[in-house]
Amino acid sequence: MLTCDDYLTPGSLEEAFDMMASNRGRHRIVAGATDTLPWAREGRAGDVHIPALIDVAKIPDLREISVGDKRVRLGAATPIQRFLDDRTLARTLPAMPRCAVWFADDQIRAQATIGGNIVNASPAADATPCLIAHKAEVELAKYAGGKVTRRRMKLDKFVIGPNRTALADGELLVAIECDALPEFGGSFEKVGHRRSLVISLVCLATLLKLDEQGRRIEDVRLAIAGIGPKPVRLEQVETFLCAGPLSTERLEEAADMPVSLVASRTRQDYRREVVRGFMLRGLINAARRAGADSAVLSSELEAAYA
Amino acid sequence: MPDLQFKATINGRQISRTARPHQRLLDFIRDDLNLTGNKEGCGAGECGTCSVFVDGVLMKSCLLPVAKAQNATIETVEALAKTGELSVLQKAFHKTGASQCGYCIPGMVMAATAALRANPFVDREEIKERLGGNICRCTGYQKIFDAVELARDVQNGRLPVDALFEGEAEQGDFIGKNVRRIDTPSKVSGRLKYAGDMTMPGMLHVQVLRSPHAHARIVSIDTSAAEAMEGVEGVITSADVPGEDGFGVFVNDQPIMARGKVRYVGEAVAAVAAEDPLIAKRALSAIKIAYQELPGVFDPDEATCPGAPILHDYAPDNVTKHIPIRVGDTDKGFAESDLVVEETYTTQAIEHAYLEPEAGLAYVDHDDVVTIVSPDQNITHHRHMLARIIAKPISKVRFIMSPVGGGFGGKEDMIYQGMLALLAMKTLRPVRLVFTREESIISTAKRHPSRTVLRMGLTRDGHIRALQMKMISDGGAYGLSTEGVMRKAAILAAGPYAIPNVRIDTIGIYTNNTPSGAFRSFGALQTAFATESHLDICAERLGLDPFEIRRINAMRDGALTHTKARLGSVSLMRALDALEKASGWESGAPTSRGHRRHDLNRSDIRPPCTLGARFAAVEKQEAAE
Repeated sequence: MLTCDDYLTPGSLEEAFDMMASNRGRHRIVAGATDTLPWAREGRAGDVHIPALIDVAKIPDLREISVGDKRVRLGAATPIQRFLDDRTLARTLPAMPRCAVWFADDQIRAQATIGGNIVNASPAADATPCLIAHKAEVELAKYAGGKVTRRRMKLDKFVIGPNRTALADGELLVAIECDALPEFGGSFEKVGHRRSLVISLVCLATLLKLDEQGRRIEDVRLAIAGIGPKPVRLEQVETFLCAGPLSTERLEEAADMPVSLVASRTRQDYRREVVRGFMLRGLINAARRAGADSAVLSSELEAAYA
Repeated sequence: MPDLQFKATINGRQISRTARPHQRLLDFIRDDLNLTGNKEGCGAGECGTCSVFVDGVLMKSCLLPVAKAQNATIETVEALAKTGELSVLQKAFHKTGASQCGYCIPGMVMAATAALRANPFVDREEIKERLGGNICRCTGYQKIFDAVELARDVQNGRLPVDALFEGEAEQGDFIGKNVRRIDTPSKVSGRLKYAGDMTMPGMLHVQVLRSPHAHARIVSIDTSAAEAMEGVEGVITSADVPGEDGFGVFVNDQPIMARGKVRYVGEAVAAVAAEDPLIAKRALSAIKIAYQELPGVFDPDEATCPGAPILHDYAPDNVTKHIPIRVGDTDKGFAESDLVVEETYTTQAIEHAYLEPEAGLAYVDHDDVVTIVSPDQNITHHRHMLARIIAKPISKVRFIMSPVGGGFGGKEDMIYQGMLALLAMKTLRPVRLVFTREESIISTAKRHPSRTVLRMGLTRDGHIRALQMKMISDGGAYGLSTEGVMRKAAILAAGPYAIPNVRIDTIGIYTNNTPSGAFRSFGALQTAFATESHLDICAERLGLDPFEIRRINAMRDGALTHTKARLGSVSLMRALDALEKASGWESGAPTSRGHRRHDLNRSDIRPPCTLGARFAAVEKQEAAE
């Protein structure tokens, strides 16, 4: 059970930093709180008393979204459900709605935030690989010398390992910036023990752009999670996929490439099978959504994997 | 801890109250506003019994600190039928029979309401996905999906309103006949009170101290510091039991609270009744217990080896119950067989996971009758046992069965009602205990884990000549239903098959694991899993279709079972025919199909690992634009 003396809801970033300073060493930041509450139960942290809980979910700066031609800026307290409800976001970040639909359930993703998912740094965090595929950067803010200072960092560098990030003491994750990719087809493949409320055993985000004929990959981003301590971009595979025309043979060869990366603590053989299947399914789904020429891929392959 | 002034609009009414900063929205609406329609099933966002609308968005109120809902407009399940008339969706739940224990149903109704608000034309696949955050353990979901589809069609005018009401009553008495459940309106509206929803004036809250050890001697218990705490009204241990302690279904081997030693992790050792649950929780940490750890035994095979730790003095061999069945001569049967196959089958412990965690309310009434209200699946037996344990005449003990929010056998054991009785007697105030989900999982009975060695002899044409089975079951620390489970497992071990020579032994063993007990099928699952799996293996070895090998051996009308029961009629052949048809079975021996299924792209089969039915609706809309 989680208990506290104060539950603080700052209305601005400055107010949040004030509260953090005056409760230094005795506070914890919460956003959606969807992981904090279950964490303070028997079997995980047990009964926990935190003198001051500082809830940043309602700070207007942290809920702002702006969509530019090249980049999209997401306030850290953006609820995951926004990627499904906001059609502009869905169009510019084409893998995110596919990821969001697998994220917990409809109710929890109305509350859970993108920033919370990142800072929590679970090896099975669903949003992180998807954002990495969108070349995401995190914006971190700190209050020092009477003003708010900010720094930026690539998301794949920010997440260090299971439950570990580069967030410094007194710092807040305030925003995420990532590539706007409206011409891309996106997919997100995930498997767990069930469909809702399930931790990924493996998940794969795919973003893919084709030439005008829909026969050659111009750009592709792949990021995978659940096979090791942190999500990884598959840059070698991406280079290989762009090196020649889109074909069944090229996809099959690409699908084999990341299989050797499986280094999870458990069920490696199973995950290798899944990785190969997901690579094919993810690429086929993304290619279709990007407008692939239907003659390019064998119908047998599509029937087996899509 | 400074209180927080909480303002909100709840079910159309404005409220302004003080709340405690750590309270969850669920606690506030249930405890402070007494709106108990929404339930707590897990407290961790997994089950959805607590789903409420916050500013029109469905959320799990067990994950919401109350401050997050400051100034919000909140709708609980009570809002849906506020005028007394059920909503279209609630009526549809009634019509399709979409409620059984009812504990998940308020949350289900809320999730279904949200699905229809989000997409009034939602299809079945999307309904499944939108209800994905809500778990039901009784209905199997199909009737719930049926209800949402029915409500959708009535709302859209595709079906007349009459479709929500009773059609023609089906004639005859048979399994599967449609009946209209009279208790459904109380469940879909959230008005039915489960034990954890009940309160009484002056009621105290109970918390239980549980053993961290699997096997340990209790050297001493000091409750004085806990008893001295302000707000603590009563603390009990086994020393407070006035009568002859011990309960069970077949053997009374389990004390109300651990007496002298603990035998499993999670066993109750002491309990506290206090003015609020938090005080009671804090009092638990003030109870000092000195344990002397003893070697434990966690495997039933090891428990029967010489020198193994002994759990109960009365059973020095750790055997709870052994059921033997002997029919014919198995040696002769194996000698007559063309094929003899032996395999070992194991099954694991399984938690019932009913949506309603255990809860109970007890009080001593004006006539000194000790009264216990709980979702108790065996109140008459428990009443008799408790009278002996608390040394009262049977006329001074009363059990009231509250609505059971799922039991499946898991609420047949009197594991907490005794503590409630003792605390009500000690404090002379009503006392209530509500288990957390974790507490329910750690302390209550599970399905028996089993290890079964099965040997079967068959002729070349598929007739079973002999079956020999030995099943060792882990009964855990106390007897509970083990004896009955072993008996049922043995009776049904040879399946509905005419086998001339049978030798069956089912043996329940004491270990320091969580006790095993009653669970739907009551032992038949473990032995049937072995026998049926074995038949498939034998079919493969003989080149027979798995349906065929069962038909060859099926008992027919008038058969005599292995335990000498005469069967008037046997529907197995009809059941096999129906199953073969409904499953789309590809006939032939198990080896004849190749390594790949042929039905994967059928329209009624959903490919694995797919989600996102809602995108089809979006794509359709975008195409139209």
